[in-house]
Amino acid sequence: MKSSSGSAWLRANFRRHETKLASLLLLLGIALAVAAPRFFSSASLALLVRSMGVLLIVAAGMLNVILAGGIDVSAGAILAVVSVLMVRLGNHGLPASVVLPLALLTGAGLGAVNAVLISEFRIPPIIATLGTAGLFRGLLLEWTQGEWESSIPAWLNSIGSPRWGGLDASVLAAVLVMLAAAWILHRTQIGRALFRFGDSPVAAARTGISPRQPIYFAYISLGALTALGAVFYAAQLGAVQGSAANGYELTVIAAVVLGGADILGGRGSLLGTFLGVLLLCSLQQALVLLRVATFWQNIATGAIVLLGVILSAAPRRQRRLILQQSTSA
Amino acid sequence: MKLRQSDNLQPVVVTLLVLFFCVYAGYRSGDFWSALNWQLLAQPLAEAGFVSLGMMFVIASGGIDLSAGAIVGVAAVTAGVGAHHKLPVPAIEVAALIAGLLCGAFNGLLIGVLRLSSILVTLGSMILFSGIALAISDGDSFAGFPGGLLWWNDAAFFGVPLGFLLFLAIAVVAAALLRYTLWGHYVIAVGSNRVAARYSGYPVALTLFGVYVLQGLLCGLTGILLVARLASARADMGQGLMLMAIAAVVLGGAPIVGGSASVIATLVGVSAFYIVQNGLLLLDVPPFVQHALTSVLLLVSVATGNLLRGKREDQR
Repeated sequence: MKSSSGSAWLRANFRRHETKLASLLLLLGIALAVAAPRFFSSASLALLVRSMGVLLIVAAGMLNVILAGGIDVSAGAILAVVSVLMVRLGNHGLPASVVLPLALLTGAGLGAVNAVLISEFRIPPIIATLGTAGLFRGLLLEWTQGEWESSIPAWLNSIGSPRWGGLDASVLAAVLVMLAAAWILHRTQIGRALFRFGDSPVAAARTGISPRQPIYFAYISLGALTALGAVFYAAQLGAVQGSAANGYELTVIAAVVLGGADILGGRGSLLGTFLGVLLLCSLQQALVLLRVATFWQNIATGAIVLLGVILSAAPRRQRRLILQQSTSA
Repeated sequence: MKLRQSDNLQPVVVTLLVLFFCVYAGYRSGDFWSALNWQLLAQPLAEAGFVSLGMMFVIASGGIDLSAGAIVGVAAVTAGVGAHHKLPVPAIEVAALIAGLLCGAFNGLLIGVLRLSSILVTLGSMILFSGIALAISDGDSFAGFPGGLLWWNDAAFFGVPLGFLLFLAIAVVAAALLRYTLWGHYVIAVGSNRVAARYSGYPVALTLFGVYVLQGLLCGLTGILLVARLASARADMGQGLMLMAIAAVVLGGAPIVGGSASVIATLVGVSAFYIVQNGLLLLDVPPFVQHALTSVLLLVSVATGNLLRGKREDQR
């Protein structure tokens, strides 16, 4: 009895993208155990977990946007704007109790700009966020004139300093964000609306979901989460500048996509996103441990992303075929 | 079928906006209408123009190419390696073109034959190609190119830079490909409705493969011109070009979902960017603000284009 339900569970989950990702991780783990056993030392593992915090927080937001059938290439610019703003205000002597809420509000506000352009002006998401990325980054660089903020306020420094056995506050925040996101995606109306709207905006409209609600929720939540990520980004780095996090949005999108989210919307999971982030970060750390030249890190990351795309494509093609048959009939 | 006239309003809007801007810039700066200014402008415009033409085909076929800038980098450092080994100039140029072509063929295989999503494939291959470009160049920049290669930058025909003339010639070829060849017809058909194209017996895989190979080839050409103008080659050379090209195509009014393409509109789009950027430079607008303002130009013209076109029924 027990074993048959177990095998049914296995069969049901065998084809899932998450299973493939987990096996990929396992393979990487075995390879690392042979090639670089130091990877599994507690110090190295703590470093790995710490390096995942910011990416995981922003990726949870990006998952919302991709689930809604959108994309946001302005996330890196938003991260830079918020981190510079926060550090500058903090260095002017404003207390954390003022700066941190202001930082989150700024992120949410910039996300809202994207949402307005996409929802009200009907600009396609990739174009809208391409434009705002240039706008935000350009204004930020003009404001900073390329100068570094080489010191950060003491309270921000203490946020980024490791405690609890090498882990820092970003890990705790990432865990909380993932739990909250899981609750919102699966237990609230707005979460379900994201899936349904992303799967088919027309069908969603017929079931009474306004297109505004999921779009605004997705981009504002990504903005706010990017701002939260910016807090830890600046805290861990200890210095920020206007060109910070250039291209970061592509790493975030790569992680979410590697996690099996459908770029057309409506499909994706937090577990997959978590595994995608874990895979990217462990790969990067492993290559550093193996003292591999930087360009090999790029080549390996690109290859892993492509592998993830190929792995996640097979079941989707079946689904599309079914759709085609039903529409052509 | 959509009406042709209402579809093509956006290039008109952009042209009008840019003309207003030109009048203003000419009034404020005496150098704006000088021949030298337009000569200096034509060179980088041609480089971005090649990538934009390639991107036009990619977007028309319903895809997007995020790896274009990385391909330019691969082609540039390939030329650098060639020059380092003292290869003759034609060999350097052919090597750079082949490097671009191979990168494009890689994308085309994954997207056309394996039917993977273009945005995902090129996101991965962008990271991959930039790694390869770094590997080829070992992170260094190349200099000491032979005079025959740098010639591209100096050569002019009645004062018009040769690179720009080449761009115009290729634009004419692109327009002919689009309008008079079966392949051009296939590209539009695949972009408007891939399923219908497949049921109509069109060679979807081969069409898409051709689109990305052409894009790779044009990126290779951009790499050569970029190397000739800057007299150096680096792996990250094409970085800004990818977003520029997508923006230029969309600024011309092409729908990002594909199924429509116009060479004239793409020319308007890419020229608008460079003319406005150049004008802002002459008006002493700080460089970072220029960047921000060209982004605003993109957003405003796409938004007005949408408003003029009226409410579209299904919006993705």
